[in-house]
Amino acid sequence: MKRKDLKHKLWKSFGVGLLVSLLGSAVQAQNTSMPKDSAAMYYEVEDIPLPDGLIAETGSIGFLPDGRFVAGFHRGEIMIYNPKTRTWKRFAEGLHDPLGLMVVSNNEILVMQRPELTRIKDTDGDGEADLYQKVTDDFGLSGNYHEFAFGPVKDKQGNLFIALNLASNGAGIRPEIRGTYDSLSRPGRMYACVDYRGWIMRLDKQGKLHPYAVGFRSPNGLGFDAQGRLLVSDNQGDWLGTSKLFHVEEGKFYGHPAGLIWKKDFPRVVPISLPVAQLDSMRTKEIVQFPHGYFANSPTQPVLDNTNGKFGQFGGQMLIGDMDHKYMIRLLLEEVNGKMQGACIPLNVGSKMRIGNNRLAFAPDGALWVGQNDHGWVGARGIQRIKWKGEKHLDLMAMNLTKDGFDLTFSMPLDAESAQNVANFKFKRFYYEYHQAYGSKQFDVKEIGVKSISLSDDKTKVHVVLDEMKAGYVYEMRLGEIINANKSKRVLNNLVCYSLNQLK
Amino acid sequence: MTEAQVLSDTTITIKVLGGLQFDTPRLILKPNTRVTLILDNHDDMAHNFVLTKPSSRLKVVEEAAKLAERGAKMNYVPTSPLVIASTKIVEPGNMETISFVLDKAGQYPYVCTYPGHGYVMFGVIYVGQSYIPPFEKDTNIPETQRVGTRNEHAHHGHGMPSSPHPYPIEFPMLYRTFMPEASPAAIAVGLTPTESYCWDAGKCYLRYIWTGGFVDNAEQWKGNGSKLTKVEGEIYWKEQQFPFTIGINKTQPKVDFKGYKLLKRVPTFEYTLDGIKVSETLTWNETAQSLIRTFVIGERSSTMNFTLPKNDAITYQLKGVTLKNGVIAVPKTIKSFSVIIKRK
Repeated sequence: MKRKDLKHKLWKSFGVGLLVSLLGSAVQAQNTSMPKDSAAMYYEVEDIPLPDGLIAETGSIGFLPDGRFVAGFHRGEIMIYNPKTRTWKRFAEGLHDPLGLMVVSNNEILVMQRPELTRIKDTDGDGEADLYQKVTDDFGLSGNYHEFAFGPVKDKQGNLFIALNLASNGAGIRPEIRGTYDSLSRPGRMYACVDYRGWIMRLDKQGKLHPYAVGFRSPNGLGFDAQGRLLVSDNQGDWLGTSKLFHVEEGKFYGHPAGLIWKKDFPRVVPISLPVAQLDSMRTKEIVQFPHGYFANSPTQPVLDNTNGKFGQFGGQMLIGDMDHKYMIRLLLEEVNGKMQGACIPLNVGSKMRIGNNRLAFAPDGALWVGQNDHGWVGARGIQRIKWKGEKHLDLMAMNLTKDGFDLTFSMPLDAESAQNVANFKFKRFYYEYHQAYGSKQFDVKEIGVKSISLSDDKTKVHVVLDEMKAGYVYEMRLGEIINANKSKRVLNNLVCYSLNQLK
Repeated sequence: MTEAQVLSDTTITIKVLGGLQFDTPRLILKPNTRVTLILDNHDDMAHNFVLTKPSSRLKVVEEAAKLAERGAKMNYVPTSPLVIASTKIVEPGNMETISFVLDKAGQYPYVCTYPGHGYVMFGVIYVGQSYIPPFEKDTNIPETQRVGTRNEHAHHGHGMPSSPHPYPIEFPMLYRTFMPEASPAAIAVGLTPTESYCWDAGKCYLRYIWTGGFVDNAEQWKGNGSKLTKVEGEIYWKEQQFPFTIGINKTQPKVDFKGYKLLKRVPTFEYTLDGIKVSETLTWNETAQSLIRTFVIGERSSTMNFTLPKNDAITYQLKGVTLKNGVIAVPKTIKSFSVIIKRK
């Protein structure tokens, strides 16, 4: 768009009255003093060279204690990459869709493959695994292709958590299955005709697998936050108006009804025949909704930035990947009335970043490695390494709900003029409906006016008072051309979506 | 179906089968054909079908992307002179019918503009074209559908191992995969490029043995995972039932798969039967052209019975035990026995 057109549009959308102030700040800043500032100035994105013959549909990644990188791919290979020598070596092979791994030691990993969680170990020290032990396969397999399995992640007590996908009625089941068959949830888009499909499972230290929480559809991502809370992502579809992130706790139901048939003492009813209002009242809501399409399509693995500043200024926060967008998503979480909720915001790292960001892992040096996948879905193949260059950029550090709006904390002092310009904080709200149909429109979309803006004395916090605060909505905020106090940087990530479940 | 030649007013069903593909990526029509098009969505994602003016596919996809949060309400179809016809969003399992006439000759792209799909999920209608490029070279068709699986074909055996992996194919080798005539937790093992078997980790027994090749995983790997791995060669031995029973009452034991270990790449499967440890190793004797199954059985308080299926195409030879009426009684004092299977 040409500059002239932009001005014309601004004129049309904001009216004459605002134009004066716009010319005085945002537009003028862009024309004259707007800093040249981009994500690529702060992050370096590098392609990891891949071995010949590898179809790099990356299902699982991690780091060994000695700093080597390990990755599992769709065709069943587990490969180890030595960043020092830049060489790849086979560690294991022949696995069935290894979509998750957890490193135990330099010669031992746990791998979540379709039929089981497997301990894979090199016992003779030749660098290749020779022992493949079942850790658990105590869950059903109907043979439906959609029964992917994810995880494991380990809590502080030593429990492992895995996630079991529902089956899809886009395909049937095999004549022979593993586990207990129950046809009760077959009606509907996605079903759980064998035990514990649609569940998060807990494996105790004695090796026994326990059903932990139910109501998941395709939970392609588990992680613990800094406080040890289990966070699980799930994908837009039936019963998911948009993709979501859940704070998963034992015994709770998170929305997709199919897996309920495996809940102890649950009545013998077809779950989707229950009134939506009843299911809605049973469920524990997500803590973050990722608006479908323009924000995220398929969020993947949540990881904690535990690099103590090596990856930049977001230490202690959670990042999560997405299959369709060339950015990571950063989570700004908080507790309100004892329940978690919060916002998501892109973390752009420059245009070299690919899409398909299925798996994330931090290297010992604090670089973020991303394993990409495009299997049967939009995405890309390969592995990329993202390094922070050492300089902080201007970004939103926290978004905290107040009684009448939000407190926005930025990473550095702001230029007072741009930070107090109402036009730089555009809010709207909407909700996604909880229903059986695939996805949801945005309902009750409404622009929300900003009543007032105030900047803290240290110029890092903006207190925004809104015209209306209503629970049960996503509050979407678009930041304008906000710049820092010494006018050298601008806000690089502008779209923020806060899931307001609880009012303060 | 990959291509349809249409001569008059007609009804065409285009299916979505998963993997972000229209099953029919190319249609050939005469001008002024009235087309009734049914979009039949067998996928587990929602899709639409948008027919665009010639050379406008990417523009329409970009326009659809710009709808951003308004997209869902508009079925992700932009209000654009470049759009000729479109369906609504068709949910998984549903279908929708639209109708249109293309009166002018040209190449009309169609595409799913659901977010993220537009760059991979498309096709083309040729109307009144004198030249139609060969299917494999038609850039109006997504590359994955054009080239099929040929470049990724995992064709082992027959002495021509072009490896589908970042390392050379090396036998013995195994794949955990969806195998025919087994539970979903099966393992395919190639002992040599031509001697292979299927061991079922879900049920803990050898299911079948074949000769002539190993497996073809192309379909299993390529698609959404529904398609089974193919056996390459001829199955000459099949198990009929779970082979072990325990004690004089011949009770069916409870099985528990434990895993496998590799020695020089040869797997030894380990499992328990009512808590009794069992391991099974299969090896190929190239000189004798026979398959050796060796069982090691742990401590137990009763005799185990091992049934061998009757099979006229092979001979059995036993080591450490004897066969009576098709059943081997393995007394509790016997720690190990072997069954040698040789094709006649």
